[in-house]
Amino acid sequence: MIKFIIRRSLGLVPLLLLVVVFSFLLMKAAPGGPEAQFQGNKKISQVQIDAWLKRWCLQPTDANTPILEQVGNYFVEFGGWFGILNCNRSGSQAFFSDSGGLNVLPPALGGGSNGVIHGDLGYGIQSGRPVTEIIAERIPATFILAFTALVLWVSIAIVLGVYAAIHRYSLFDQTVTFLSYIFYSLPTFWLGLNLIFIFGVALRWFPTGGIITTRDWSPFNTPQYWQQFGANPGAATLDIGRHLFLPVLTLVAVNIAGDSRFVRASMLESINQDYVRTARAKGLRNRVVVGKHALRNAMLPVVTNVALEIPFLFSGAIVTETIFNWPGMGRLFIDSIGGKDYFVIMGLLLVTAIITLFANLIADVVYAIVDPRIRYD
Amino acid sequence: MTGSILPVDDDVATRSAGRPLLEVRDLRTYFHVMDGVVRAVDGISFSIMAGETLGIVGESGCGKSVTSLSIMRLLDMPPAEIPSGEILFEGRDLLTMPDEEMRKVRGNDIAMIFQEPMTSLNPVFTVGDQIAEAVILHQGLSKKAAWDKAIESLKAVGINNPERRVKQYPHELSGGMRQRVMIAMALSCDPKLLIADEPTTALDVTIQAQILELIRTVQDRTGAALMLITHDLGVVAETVKDVVVMYAGRIVEEGSVEEVLLAPKHPYTEGLLGSIPSRGKRGERLNVIRGTVPNPFNMPPGCNFAPRCPYAFEPCTQADPRIGDANPPDVACWLYTATATSPTPPRVRPRLDLVEALG
Repeated sequence: MIKFIIRRSLGLVPLLLLVVVFSFLLMKAAPGGPEAQFQGNKKISQVQIDAWLKRWCLQPTDANTPILEQVGNYFVEFGGWFGILNCNRSGSQAFFSDSGGLNVLPPALGGGSNGVIHGDLGYGIQSGRPVTEIIAERIPATFILAFTALVLWVSIAIVLGVYAAIHRYSLFDQTVTFLSYIFYSLPTFWLGLNLIFIFGVALRWFPTGGIITTRDWSPFNTPQYWQQFGANPGAATLDIGRHLFLPVLTLVAVNIAGDSRFVRASMLESINQDYVRTARAKGLRNRVVVGKHALRNAMLPVVTNVALEIPFLFSGAIVTETIFNWPGMGRLFIDSIGGKDYFVIMGLLLVTAIITLFANLIADVVYAIVDPRIRYD
Repeated sequence: MTGSILPVDDDVATRSAGRPLLEVRDLRTYFHVMDGVVRAVDGISFSIMAGETLGIVGESGCGKSVTSLSIMRLLDMPPAEIPSGEILFEGRDLLTMPDEEMRKVRGNDIAMIFQEPMTSLNPVFTVGDQIAEAVILHQGLSKKAAWDKAIESLKAVGINNPERRVKQYPHELSGGMRQRVMIAMALSCDPKLLIADEPTTALDVTIQAQILELIRTVQDRTGAALMLITHDLGVVAETVKDVVVMYAGRIVEEGSVEEVLLAPKHPYTEGLLGSIPSRGKRGERLNVIRGTVPNPFNMPPGCNFAPRCPYAFEPCTQADPRIGDANPPDVACWLYTATATSPTPPRVRPRLDLVEALG
């Protein structure tokens, strides 16, 4: 098993590289750029803009640049971001660091210090702060939302799905099926806005957005905030809980729909297997037949399914976070795309890709643990 | 149920006195499906004495498996329905028994071996877990004692190195080995009746003989009664004493193995025997039964077998022969009724190879 994990992790490296290259090129191929903020500003000349771009290791381009040269520029920019190229130098000299060694090498061997392979994700163009810092401060909010929603929706989906499968075609099953189709078809933004309107605006039961009540607390995830949190953990948790309610409800409602169908189908398949009949023929209680023999087998595909849902949640439930003004990674992503904040976008994509690949790996490992038929060595 | 119920079947009563272990009376099992009602089992009666062996023979879809599942009450209702009939086990009607009591009968008093050893064991639990489970439930043994019992029963079905096998998962065993595990599981609680539903169909020929031999030995040793369901007359000849032949949900003929296999009365039985290849018929065409099983939604008027029967004559398309109507009463066929103007009674060459198998 250990060997399998190591082998698979090594296999992830080229995959990750491909993902990163392609997302960088796609991002660059989209029109516009961070220099758009200077557009129409008569005090800033084109020369100044080009110099500004150069400082960000970006290649100035305009509509007249030939397409091949543009793509070439994208690769140069990627090389700078990734750490192969040294953007203080140009031409073939760019492969070498300021100290003269190959730029890809670690600094100790005369390499450069810029780029992902040297552990440097760059700086946010909008804020000027390190990307690692920008992303790190968004993690707690995303984690709170994602974890709460995931635990709730998976457990509710399992209960609903299993119960509906056991009582197939009953009123309960039909109701769950009907509601599932409705919620499955609802766009997240529509549901979210309606929940805000009903529970936030009309009934005023829950706040309409944000993670904390800003007039009572310091900004979320600042040292001052955690100080206040430590001084009054009960009230702070309650405050976050109140803000969590609507976004969690949105995520749960939309995702339960699909997952409960999945659990139901899996359970139905399992319940009709020969071994379930064998268990029944042994005289086992129905609870044991269903809860042990059928459920254990029905959960195998569910494990994989849930593991693969995790990365989407942690890369930020983008729409939900945006609608509820949630200070997480999803909203950071939207804001960065809006501002063409290339290095923050790439940082987020890198994190998402790593989470996705590792969630796959974890799914495989968990599958091997729960299903004795799977052996990886 | 009271003790006043005596076997209706004279044949069985003469052979062994007392109450049968299992007595099925006029059992009907219907399935309500989209296109209508399928009468999978349509009024069958038979009985098994304690320690005796009975074979139920018939082609696919004749209702033999549904009969066994009805006895175990393992059918989903709906779509299944048992509109009439009694299944008396030691005098108690299994059909009207409360669920909780029926549960105690299953696995403990009546155990079942299924056709598909590859899928009948749960893939995510060890063999030992699956055997011990029933023992813990029915005999109230501790986990440790049940585990020992599992090892013991694996040994009893001829599995080598049971201490190691007991910790293995089904996928680590061969098909024959899994069927042995199924048998071990069925016997772990010392049932009084063992129902084997096509226990050798999914196995390859060399293993089939071993498994049949095993079923016969353990049945002999434990003194359990055996109800063997099969479409294979060779298996019947080797394993059981009495036979019931089913066709389209009805019993068409019954009797001892010798009577039924050597002197079949019903044209269907004759057809079944005729369709087995044998040494004596080398070079000849096989005498297969013409046509197919009737559409369950469109049963022929009169005898169900009439459209396929080479001897069919007028009464066959008019009235439905039931077992007991004829003389002798152990066949449901108008050829044998006293009043009928019978053409030629069915004649069939005795199956010498089957005689050999009978010993």
